[in-house]
Amino acid sequence: MSEKLLIDIGSTYFKVYENGSIRHYFRDFSQNIYDDLMLKCADTLKRYSPSQIYICSSANGGLSTLIIGLTRSFSIRYAVNIAFNSGINIIDTLLYRELGDDPAPRERVDVVILAGGYDGRDGVFDDRLTEYLSHLEYSNIVYAGNREDGERMARSIDNLVVVENIMDEKLQMRENELKNYLTDLYQADIMGKEEIKRFYEITTNQIYSTPYIVNRAMPQLRKKMDVADPFIAIDIGGATTDIHYSRDLVRDNIVTESSYDRMVFKKLGVYKSRESLVFSARNNEYVFELLNTLNVTENILEEYSDKAVRVLMQLAIFLVLFKMSKYHADYIELELERLNSIVFTGGITKVLENAEIEGIVSFFYRKILKFHRSPSVVIDRDYRIWTYGMDDSAGERG
Amino acid sequence: MSLFQREREIIVDNEFTDSFDFEEIEEFVSGASKNLFISHRFATSDKMQVQPRGGFPTYEKVFRLYEEFKSAGVDILPLTIDSNTRLNDYATARKMLELSEENDTDMLNGYPLINHGYRTTRKMMVHFDTPVSLRHGTPDARLLVETAIASGIFEIEGGPITYLLPYSKNFPLDKAFLYWKYVEKVCAHYSQFNEAINRESFGPLSATMQPPAIVLAIQIIEMLLSLEEGVRSFSVSFSQSGSVVQDVVSANVLKRLARKYADTFGFTDAAIHLVYHQWMGAFPRDKFFSDSLITTGTVIAAMVGADKIITKTRNEAYGIPTKEANALAVANVQYTLGILRGLPAISDEREEEHLERMVDAIMQAVLNDDADTLWRKVYNSIKKGYIEIPFSPHIINANEVITVRDPDGNIRIYDRGRLPIPDDCFEYERSKIELPEGKRVVEKIIEDIGIMQ
Repeated sequence: MSEKLLIDIGSTYFKVYENGSIRHYFRDFSQNIYDDLMLKCADTLKRYSPSQIYICSSANGGLSTLIIGLTRSFSIRYAVNIAFNSGINIIDTLLYRELGDDPAPRERVDVVILAGGYDGRDGVFDDRLTEYLSHLEYSNIVYAGNREDGERMARSIDNLVVVENIMDEKLQMRENELKNYLTDLYQADIMGKEEIKRFYEITTNQIYSTPYIVNRAMPQLRKKMDVADPFIAIDIGGATTDIHYSRDLVRDNIVTESSYDRMVFKKLGVYKSRESLVFSARNNEYVFELLNTLNVTENILEEYSDKAVRVLMQLAIFLVLFKMSKYHADYIELELERLNSIVFTGGITKVLENAEIEGIVSFFYRKILKFHRSPSVVIDRDYRIWTYGMDDSAGERG
Repeated sequence: MSLFQREREIIVDNEFTDSFDFEEIEEFVSGASKNLFISHRFATSDKMQVQPRGGFPTYEKVFRLYEEFKSAGVDILPLTIDSNTRLNDYATARKMLELSEENDTDMLNGYPLINHGYRTTRKMMVHFDTPVSLRHGTPDARLLVETAIASGIFEIEGGPITYLLPYSKNFPLDKAFLYWKYVEKVCAHYSQFNEAINRESFGPLSATMQPPAIVLAIQIIEMLLSLEEGVRSFSVSFSQSGSVVQDVVSANVLKRLARKYADTFGFTDAAIHLVYHQWMGAFPRDKFFSDSLITTGTVIAAMVGADKIITKTRNEAYGIPTKEANALAVANVQYTLGILRGLPAISDEREEEHLERMVDAIMQAVLNDDADTLWRKVYNSIKKGYIEIPFSPHIINANEVITVRDPDGNIRIYDRGRLPIPDDCFEYERSKIELPEGKRVVEKIIEDIGIMQ
């Protein structure tokens, strides 16, 4: 590790790891990301060759994705799962049988994922798909459905990339090829973005998305941190909030080799997504009691102060737990009653004290789940989780 | 500074209102005339208090209205608030008030208290030295109630259920509960300086075919929510149902159960009063029939031993009454009450037992909810449909209960929706209903709604 320099470029902070210690730099939004990093870390960067520098980023906005699948129970569900775990944040889905019911999205889609059917069955997709795609603006397209249709469609759809079917013969998920495709695409996307692509001037290694890296770190947490299974990791940043959770916590189990999934709330952040966070808070029936517990009035939601940021961060913790609980049907329901540990990482750990985080978790368990005990809270103040994932990635590719 | 006081500072820091001087207001309340407190009037008078409804946009018109009422022998004065203020739209209220003042035309359907401010309004309240009741229908009444009490208005009507479900389509119910919690705290706070500030629930609900079991359960719940914040003078209420017997039964059971639940929760020191609203449904266009309906309401109020009666006018079918018509109604009610002295107590034991069991069953379902606070138990119960107000517009209201009248005019539950009433009680309700052959339920409902027309 001493010969590697790890850099995470977030929407609000840079994190730089070398020789076992992490330094954080608050972003200067008046400069572009690359110049900002060079200004703040020029001396450090000089000490490493491009092959020793590993970068991940969550600052480029991510890829917008449209998934077209045959069923919500299998193909779409699997594709969404793989996309999230690959670090993609913006996902729309469309059932194949509803194709054409609504006009195609007007905005250009970064990547279209086609999925559905099992190998050995032909003719699942027909001309309606090519007709629909002719009205859609997209940059990339990948087919991850049944083998037979893939071969046929590769002949009729320009630039179609065909990967192995994400559903095997036992209707279980196969994720590797699509996942690799999407993470590679992430790199290609960075190359297309002026601000970020300059980072390839300082590294020869692949730049990954940060959520992907954090997800990779999950299996190591039991060994490296004081956590007990089952646990979840919540990464609340300036723009989005990510949850990394063990699949054991989901009743609706997807059988796969990977044990951890990722879920993202793309509008729950305390800086860039502040407005939508406040909107969610105002519409949550428990938030006003929570504010009371925090000894603040609802007026705090309109304030711009350090205190308001702290409260928003606490609300974000509560809202994330609430959205993942059985009281909120719109997202994946986690069996939070079974949790033994919750790991917090990301921007909130720079601001909130242990007691402030524990208080929210305790409020949630007492008030919503009606539990007298709550899981232990582990706070990753130095963002070590990221280094575990990066180290793994660096080792694998480096 | 406590969180509550900080919240108060924020609420009253509003561009449309006076700058609040809490210390001065506390001094004012401490030294206010006892005559301004309805709680004092209840404690010292055996007479049923007569209160009309009414409010105009300008100070002068309300002043003249009060003069008219006083000359008619009113006991309690009303202050009805305009619709913009009820919706916290003080900017529009101010604009309309200015137009009303400039053109001598009523551009508002009530008094914009926030815009007039407490310093101005207080002059009028002190001048008449008579209890005033605030009638508003506001889900978020925090600023309004602060202003009202600072003005010398020491009775506040409403509640988180009765001023929300029948009045609003989508104002968040959870916030209504918390905002009303604030109101209760303010009332309890000022009660320590002089006589108690009286709170009154709004029993007519949507004023359309309300089954007594629902009315009573909601009255008791709003009373408990108020008492638990420290209020010690509370009025439960209901309106003329169209059936004399049912009104007698409702009054007897409501008085009994309100006391029982208040005591059960440890509020043995709370004074509980009964308020009766004259007919709140659609009025006949024939003014002589209206007179008859109003007089019948006065007789029933006397029969049930109400502490206060809220009057209607013979102009009801035609719009907002003039001050003269309103005063005439007060004089007539006072006259009728003068005749109705020494009425014997009457009851219907079977109907009372039946109603009491239904109310108790609803209350048990509410109290058995596993939430940790009373307001959330009630909130959850409304979401589950254990409590609903028939014919209410609010999106969270279950709107499953259907009521029709039996041949004696009693309102009966035809479809209980998710009301947790015992099966035998529901069967009893159904057994009383006689739906003429070939008549659809909806036709019967329409007919029953217009029973007095």
